[in-house]
Amino acid sequence: MLTVLCLAASAQGFALLGQSAPDFALRSFSGTNVRLSEDRGDVVVLTFWGSQCGVCRRQLDLLDHSFTTYRSAGLHMYGVSVDDDAAHARQFVAAHPLGLMLLEDPAKDVARLYQIDNLPTTVLIDRGGIVRHVYRDFGPRDEALYLSQLRELLNE
Amino acid sequence: MPVMKKTGRIRHCLARSTTFACMGLLLGLSLAALTLRARAADAPAASSAPNAAQAAAVGAQVEAALAAADQGSSAPGAAPAGPASAAATSSAPTAAPGAADTRSLDEDTQQLKKDVVDLNRDLFVLEEELLFPANTQVAVYISMDVGEFFALDAVTLKIDNKEVTNYLYTPREVDALLKGGVQRLYLGNLKVGNHELVAFFSGKGPDNRDYRRGASLKFDKSIGAKYLELKIEDRQRKMQPEFEIKDWE
Repeated sequence: MLTVLCLAASAQGFALLGQSAPDFALRSFSGTNVRLSEDRGDVVVLTFWGSQCGVCRRQLDLLDHSFTTYRSAGLHMYGVSVDDDAAHARQFVAAHPLGLMLLEDPAKDVARLYQIDNLPTTVLIDRGGIVRHVYRDFGPRDEALYLSQLRELLNE
Repeated sequence: MPVMKKTGRIRHCLARSTTFACMGLLLGLSLAALTLRARAADAPAASSAPNAAQAAAVGAQVEAALAAADQGSSAPGAAPAGPASAAATSSAPTAAPGAADTRSLDEDTQQLKKDVVDLNRDLFVLEEELLFPANTQVAVYISMDVGEFFALDAVTLKIDNKEVTNYLYTPREVDALLKGGVQRLYLGNLKVGNHELVAFFSGKGPDNRDYRRGASLKFDKSIGAKYLELKIEDRQRKMQPEFEIKDWE
């Protein structure tokens, strides 16, 4: 209950909640380009991370686990790197093979678009392209809530 | 003989007028029955149920009278059948309005959706006309042919040495272009006069190597919209892609 209240309080300031998720196109570390609007009709999890952020690494592992479980149900997951130094991000990607697609945002245009002021920040977008849930300071204790909300969106 | 003729004519006229009168009566009764039925169907079920039932009953009576008139039977014979047929038909309007209401609601919804789409299109056109008037409008399109020697990744567009767009292509978008799609890459405003358009294409070239090429065009913007097309084609003879900017007059 406390966790729900904390998350609700932290998400209150997020102006994009209930709004249409801003579209973007970014290059992934594997070389392919990704455009968010192409995933309309599926649930999208967008997480903003940095290679120097310890919490982000743990969170990416947790998210990757849920991605491998639910990808067949229509889930897309992208990790947007906001590293100042692209070389650090590439080293991290090489050292941590993940199933979810990691994207480069060197100019931080997308981070600005989503008004990111904290790492990690995770955004859940529903099948209609609406921002439904936002998590800040995602930790292992938030996993249950995240999974229940993710299942709810996948069932819609 | 003339007296006989006159009598015949009068009889004929009387017969005709009777026929017309009967037809008029039948038509009037039919219209009344239809109106009453429609009223019974339109009346809200909860608030005016007695009124609807009454109207249906009256409608049924009128129908019975019509049937009697059609069969040429006498009024006393038809009279007892009225309430019975009213009772029999009173259940019909209760079943029919549900289906009719659903159908009309569905039609209304479809019409509303169509109106919204039309309105959205009109607003979009109006917005474009306001933001990009025909006198200053410049539109740049891109098309691809074959794509055997070049896999498009991104296009950067500069007009008068100022970057106006930088577009990343996803595999789906490249597929759409290869299938003959034409994409509007840029829409903007330019003053009348001479301008220069420079386009940088990046992607994978022959032998899957990183490939970056540029193409430029100096054009004269006169009064009226200007349309330019970036064309990516394969040059089979050179085994290289070719980039061209075409000015559509």
